[in-house]
Amino acid sequence: MAAPTSFNTTKPTVETKEKVDYFNLPCPIPYEEMHREALMSLKPEVFEGMRFDFTKGINQKFALSHSVFMGPTEIPSQSSETIKIPTAHYEFGANYLDPKLMLLGRVLTDGRVNARVKCDLSDNLILKANAQLTSEPHMSHCMVNFDYKGKDYRSQFQLGNGALFGANYIQSVTPNLSLGGEVFWAGQHRKSGVGYAARYSTDKMVATGQVASTGIVALSYVQKVSEKVSLASDFMYNYMSRDVTASFGYDYILRQCRLRGKIDSNGCVTSFLEERLNMGLNFILSAEIDHRKKDYKFGFGLTVGE
Amino acid sequence: MASKGVSLKVKGKGSASKNKGSSSSSSSSDENSMCKALKDWSNWGLKKAKVIAHYGFIPLVIIIGMNSEPKPSLSQLLSPV
Repeated sequence: MAAPTSFNTTKPTVETKEKVDYFNLPCPIPYEEMHREALMSLKPEVFEGMRFDFTKGINQKFALSHSVFMGPTEIPSQSSETIKIPTAHYEFGANYLDPKLMLLGRVLTDGRVNARVKCDLSDNLILKANAQLTSEPHMSHCMVNFDYKGKDYRSQFQLGNGALFGANYIQSVTPNLSLGGEVFWAGQHRKSGVGYAARYSTDKMVATGQVASTGIVALSYVQKVSEKVSLASDFMYNYMSRDVTASFGYDYILRQCRLRGKIDSNGCVTSFLEERLNMGLNFILSAEIDHRKKDYKFGFGLTVGE
Repeated sequence: MASKGVSLKVKGKGSASKNKGSSSSSSSSDENSMCKALKDWSNWGLKKAKVIAHYGFIPLVIIIGMNSEPKPSLSQLLSPV
């Protein structure tokens, strides 16, 4: 008899915005990953030549990887022409992934070792180390980072070889906006610098800006147009050397493939395709056409394993 | 005239620094030798650590991996399948 539909009079018809709790802000993205959405869309790992990667999992935590690369590698030259030397190398790698400890090691045929360590010393303190070691003297690099994660801030202290010290700090100011700063000092080159960065992100877009006393101003904007498509643009200006670069790119994440492409103000067009042929089998095509330098790079590869 | 003034000033500075140098040379030489020894030892340590890391990192990762649960066998490590 009574009307079964009872409407709730206490609920307002218009959904009001949730009041922002400034004491309960989310933890921000780490300072060095601030541009990660733009980086993922605009800077895929383009290569020239043939690449074959095979990852063999032995255990849940332990895996070995074998990688073969054949193709021309560019060497830096003073003249405007690019000099390429054909190289071929085999790389052996061992990965150990634990929730608390991650060890990644790669060794190449010419004796170079690439090592990465990430260790959770406690709930909030993380130690990361990255090293490139060679047999030649004075050509090895190493960088050690200590990250501290607070409730709504992150801070990091870096130590590098050649008396390199750096520190950065990032703080969530509102649920969408985080601001940060960094300072570094390089003893060997007698250089020091200060930088500031800001990141504004919502569900649909991410905008970041970074200014540094080394003369770099970098802005980026990524818009997620739909679940499968996102567009990104990037602007970099160096006010010391009066160098400007702007790029615009797209990122399509489809069911069987991922296609990324970008066009640059330097006259460079890049495209990168990863096609999933089967479970654990990926086919990669990469193309980079630089019209200004007349440098054309095409590459193909196959990735087997997770 | 100006040059005489300049030369006197320079001589004055020179003598003052010489005095300073002679009085603190004994203590500074001790500190200098300690600093030098510390630097030499730390350089030696860093060089050895670099060589150890260069040759030993990948075997270390493999040993830690082979001892993790569930324990894999040597054939799994060496076979290509």
